[in-house]
Amino acid sequence: MAALHIRRAPPSRTGISIVSMIDVMIILLFFFMVTSTYLNLDMVPAVDHSDDPAPASPLTSGTGAPATTILVRLSADGSTAIGGQVLSPPDLAQVIRDRLADDPLTPVVILPSGGADMQALIGLMDTLTTAGALRLRVIRLDASP
Amino acid sequence: MKLTRPTRRQHPETIVALIDVVFFLLVFFMLIGRLDASAPFAVTPPVGTTGTDLPAGGITLSISADGALALDGVAISRDVLATEITDRLARTPALLIRVNADKTTQLSHVLPIVSMLEGVGAKDVVLVVTPVAP
Repeated sequence: MAALHIRRAPPSRTGISIVSMIDVMIILLFFFMVTSTYLNLDMVPAVDHSDDPAPASPLTSGTGAPATTILVRLSADGSTAIGGQVLSPPDLAQVIRDRLADDPLTPVVILPSGGADMQALIGLMDTLTTAGALRLRVIRLDASP
Repeated sequence: MKLTRPTRRQHPETIVALIDVVFFLLVFFMLIGRLDASAPFAVTPPVGTTGTDLPAGGITLSISADGALALDGVAISRDVLATEITDRLARTPALLIRVNADKTTQLSHVLPIVSMLEGVGAKDVVLVVTPVAP
């Protein structure tokens, strides 16, 4: 006579649903993709106390700079001039290179017009830096009270 | 005799790879994303080819084309700005201040602000530029 074996069926293992986790991850991914902005930004130092001290008093005229300083004026229309001579960016770079050939540490001072815009100033600083100016300063004229 | 072919079991597509990819994308965007307060007005920084990498941290002072100011995304007046900067410098003397001025902003709006920042003791002030036109 055959024995009757009764086996209990193993309990089915119900896995934890990960659908909700995937939903959350996709929502987070969508959030970060939408809110991320790709800005490639650089910086130009504006105040650096490691340099030589700035002129003790605000300049009230363009003649306050030392004789060895190269003074570059930036007009409201973006044109640049040295010693009253208007120069295009390539000519300006060449003049700066010639002047700095003897003493590369000659200070180069930018005297911008208040009507010039930021792009003109940054472009001029680029030109001067590319030409080899190591000591670059921007000065401004204070209005008399 | 009738033979019936057993029905094929439909194996569900595995989504483990999908989860991996989504997870990597999520981590990628979380790492590269920088939560930065944007100004309440549009600011397009000037193009500068000789700039250096912009360090993280510090505060951002935005200046619009018409001279309006915003500190870390909140509009602020010139009168309050000096006091606010002084307070922050008292808490963090080596505070980095990023001046994010629009490329069309006149220097008469920017240079006095930079002078004021230097006057209240800011030692690390930088102008934000972009290497390529956005």
